[in-house]
Amino acid sequence: MVAVKRNVAGLVIVFVGAAVVQLAVSNTYLRYVKPGMRWMLLAAGIILIALAVADVLADTRKKDEHDHGLADDGHGHHGLPRAAWLLLIPIFALLVVDPPALGAAAAERQSPVASKPIQPKSNSWLADNPSGGPVQLPVRDYSVWAVWEKESMKGRSFELSGFVTPGKNGSWYITRMGLNCCVADATAFMVEARGQSTAPAKNQWVKVTGEWAEPTKRADGDVAALTVTSVSPIPTPANQYE
Amino acid sequence: MSAPVGVAEKAEKTPKEPLGSSVVFTLTLVLLVGLALFGRRIFAGAFTDETIRTWATMFVGVTVQALPFLVLGVLLSAALTAFVPASFFAKALPKHPALAVPVASASGVILPGCECASVPVSAALMARGVTPAAAIAFLLSAPAINPVVLASTAVAFPGQPKVVVARAVASMAISMIIGWLWLMTGKGGSWMRIPKNRHAEGTGKLEVFRSSMLHDFLHAGGFLVVGAAAAATLNVIVPRAWLDHVASNLLLSVLVLGLLAVLLAICSEADAFVAASLSQFSMTARLAFMVVGPIVDVKLIALQAGTFGPKFAIRFAPATFAIAILVSLGVGWWLL
Repeated sequence: MVAVKRNVAGLVIVFVGAAVVQLAVSNTYLRYVKPGMRWMLLAAGIILIALAVADVLADTRKKDEHDHGLADDGHGHHGLPRAAWLLLIPIFALLVVDPPALGAAAAERQSPVASKPIQPKSNSWLADNPSGGPVQLPVRDYSVWAVWEKESMKGRSFELSGFVTPGKNGSWYITRMGLNCCVADATAFMVEARGQSTAPAKNQWVKVTGEWAEPTKRADGDVAALTVTSVSPIPTPANQYE
Repeated sequence: MSAPVGVAEKAEKTPKEPLGSSVVFTLTLVLLVGLALFGRRIFAGAFTDETIRTWATMFVGVTVQALPFLVLGVLLSAALTAFVPASFFAKALPKHPALAVPVASASGVILPGCECASVPVSAALMARGVTPAAAIAFLLSAPAINPVVLASTAVAFPGQPKVVVARAVASMAISMIIGWLWLMTGKGGSWMRIPKNRHAEGTGKLEVFRSSMLHDFLHAGGFLVVGAAAAATLNVIVPRAWLDHVASNLLLSVLVLGLLAVLLAICSEADAFVAASLSQFSMTARLAFMVVGPIVDVKLIALQAGTFGPKFAIRFAPATFAIAILVSLGVGWWLL
């Protein structure tokens, strides 16, 4: 009986391990953590599955030895601890809720103001290549440079891709969430889109081109802006964070 | 949020008597496979609310981020239990507990990982006969002063090596102060459920390794889930904007960033980047954020309650928090 009971633990661990491996293999993990976590997730999942298999094998062996009085190895802990059932909650969340990457709902809760970087990433390469069409930039960089490196951005056109976060009075922001570690520390980088009469649907992924515009002053700081000349919907990228 | 809890309750109500264990197994298997196949169809439309979905993303995110480190932690702690003889620690650490504390605190350098890994490892140290004060010092210093964390701090604050030094100094100081306080008051032992060495001598080393890893993972994993749920809830509830109102007052800002570190439960390998982005705050306040985070946060409190008992966790968390705030103020004034 003991053996069967212990296999519940094996079953739960196999499911947790399989869920982690599946996240890593299917790229779904990119919704929750940074790309660098992939091999760690794979390793953790495989270790868990191996642990569960080893446990089941050991139980089978013990059952055989039962008649020789060797079954109880003195560990005194055979059931699944109550707390371990909680491991099923994230599995439930993954299988049923299928949590999406953070989008406009999370961005709306943050301020669109670009805080000043301590050690700003240099954009001097922009000045070195003054000619040509719109420059492709991560929203993360544009939202900071447009406010803190105005001189080098003035009069130039840029191409940004991100999702749509609606603002007040019909305004909207081109948005990208930035991760440092996992979604718990996600920061929204937002660029106000000007010169468009109608906002695209909330959370729609778009590629926009336009010219640098004077940042919007707010009580808590300045918000990067772009005078948009063209908007086109794009498919959701594999890694939605920057 | 209510539905996942419902599943755990349903699972717990399943029969507990030995005869029912094959029923538990079958029910769990059916439940899991059923959810995997039909879960989304059955609950279609049930979890469309944006706040719930954001919560679920945060919850899964914190769990997924912490899980590999927890696996690393239980792997190391099982290896300590199975393969390192208790006599090793007796030789490696000074005999006198007061001297063992700083040595244990400094040896936190060798455990590369975030705070989830250090809880099972320090529990294994206690089970191997290391004095609890020294194991506590290790528990507090390991997630803050290991090379991965210090390197990420250096990257987050480029050109400011004093931040790295301040973080290491403050974290070491706190772990030693708490270790010595533990020895001086002599009270901690009565609140703490000291993990026992569950493993009868004479069983095979691999068997000990396997069973202690299984045991530790099942216990700590459940509490990690509780901690992740708490962190996700606070993340969704606490608006970031209120931070800006307190940034100007030094004492208040140190307290607020300390509390924020407790509530957000960001892993110690990444908290430096978050601290760096909180640029409206003074350096001392950001130091407090980086010093408090690895030693006390909602996820850790849940893990510690599971490992050392709730009586211990509810006393240990406020004590470490208060000392961490004081030390951050001192070190910040001295070095930053």
